[in-house]
Amino acid sequence: MVPGGTGVSAKLSEQAALTARLMLYGLLAIVLMAMDHRGKYVPRVREAAGYFIEPIYHAVEWPVSAARGVYAFFQSSSHTQRENARLREQLLGQQGDLQRLAALTEENHRLRALLEGTASQRFEFRFAELIAVDLDPFSHKVVIDRGSSSGVERGQAVIDGAGVMGQVEEVHPHLATVRLISDPNHALPVQINRTGQRTVAYGSGETQALILPSIPREADVREGDLVVTSGLGGRFPGGYPVATVTAVDRDEGLTFARATARPLAALDRGREVLLIRTLAPEPTAAGEEVDPRAHTDAAGEQVDSDGEAVPRGESPEAAGGADGTDADDPGGGRP
Amino acid sequence: MNTQRERLLPVLVTLAIAMVLTILPLPGWMEAWRPAWVALVLVYWGLETREVVPVGAAFVSGLALDLLTGSLLGMHALEYVVLVYLVIRFRARLRFFPPWQQALSVLALLVNDRIIVLWIVSLKGDPLPSPGFWLAPLVSTFIWPWMFLLLDRYRRSMRHRAAA
Repeated sequence: MVPGGTGVSAKLSEQAALTARLMLYGLLAIVLMAMDHRGKYVPRVREAAGYFIEPIYHAVEWPVSAARGVYAFFQSSSHTQRENARLREQLLGQQGDLQRLAALTEENHRLRALLEGTASQRFEFRFAELIAVDLDPFSHKVVIDRGSSSGVERGQAVIDGAGVMGQVEEVHPHLATVRLISDPNHALPVQINRTGQRTVAYGSGETQALILPSIPREADVREGDLVVTSGLGGRFPGGYPVATVTAVDRDEGLTFARATARPLAALDRGREVLLIRTLAPEPTAAGEEVDPRAHTDAAGEQVDSDGEAVPRGESPEAAGGADGTDADDPGGGRP
Repeated sequence: MNTQRERLLPVLVTLAIAMVLTILPLPGWMEAWRPAWVALVLVYWGLETREVVPVGAAFVSGLALDLLTGSLLGMHALEYVVLVYLVIRFRARLRFFPPWQQALSVLALLVNDRIIVLWIVSLKGDPLPSPGFWLAPLVSTFIWPWMFLLLDRYRRSMRHRAAA
């Protein structure tokens, strides 16, 4: 419209332009959402945006962690002593369990070797802390303070002291986002610990419940049963506790029984987590030499150096294999 | 050019503060009570200065918030585009409402905003959110008058400084 036009028509055209803009940007937003929902291109956008987002997260987190530090400093010594005693007791109990675990692992190795089964997988744990930022409640994500610079990879399983939390979704240099198992789009291969009944646990959209919608109706599942990861699918290692069954619904009209379970991990309030990395299974003969305690004992720093060493240790072997001349040697010498 | 930059600066500053407030950690039970900070700031600037916060700016700030909070990319963008469109469309009326009436219209705007979220969530096939989902518009409505005064004072001080 020409600036000198009549007031009414100028206003009308202004409104038309406004509506046109609404439609344009609205359409753009809907296209973006569809692309994000289907996982196209958007992950790369998020990776790139990570460089801007990281400093903001750290800036938001800084006062929170500072406040925590001050709080811890002023915490009374009697409280600290009490906590210390409690932790010591806990540690003792867990060490007892671990001793038995070492024997059991040894036995497991032997039995597997006898049965000529595949070697059990080895895992490496890495400590990480949640960054104190609140993400969109619909996104079911949390942010951890380790990223690609400490070797975090996409798809790694994340657990806390009580159970499985989720898996790493986006990796940035110094932080990573973890998709929680409570996400409605998350499916976790699990089994009922008591019976070995395998099924899949879906997120319900709430942090207090998982849904196991496809249990055979005659299957033996009860309230209070422990649900553990089955290890199928390869992303989550097997045997980690996930949830306890809170209700089983055997509707006559449905093909499957449907159970709800309460996650054991503190999905909405935890702070410390462990990242699990599956190491390549070792050859069975060497498997017996491995001391399992070396793994479980390893604190964060030690594992760090371990993690660096493993790929380096493997590379000469790979190089030797690529040579071609002595390619048979390492293969033949092993058994 | 210079005056436009001066006008743009307070908008950017307040939007940045609102975004930080949005991801600031709160204890679990308080999370549902978190006001829709960015939406409130956008409503304010939409009412006061139409030239600086056009629909496009709402889109961009929505995208920024999407990336920051890890939500579905475009969700907040769509919310804020509709929000600012409505504000600009009914600007002449909204501006001259008495405060309580203005707060009520903010409530209507934010409830509409939640309905858009509900629509997106159900299109995604996610389960519907808990009743706490509807708390945010109410809390925001109570905060609106104070927020309005605060931002007004901030804007005036900026203008004075620019004039001095």
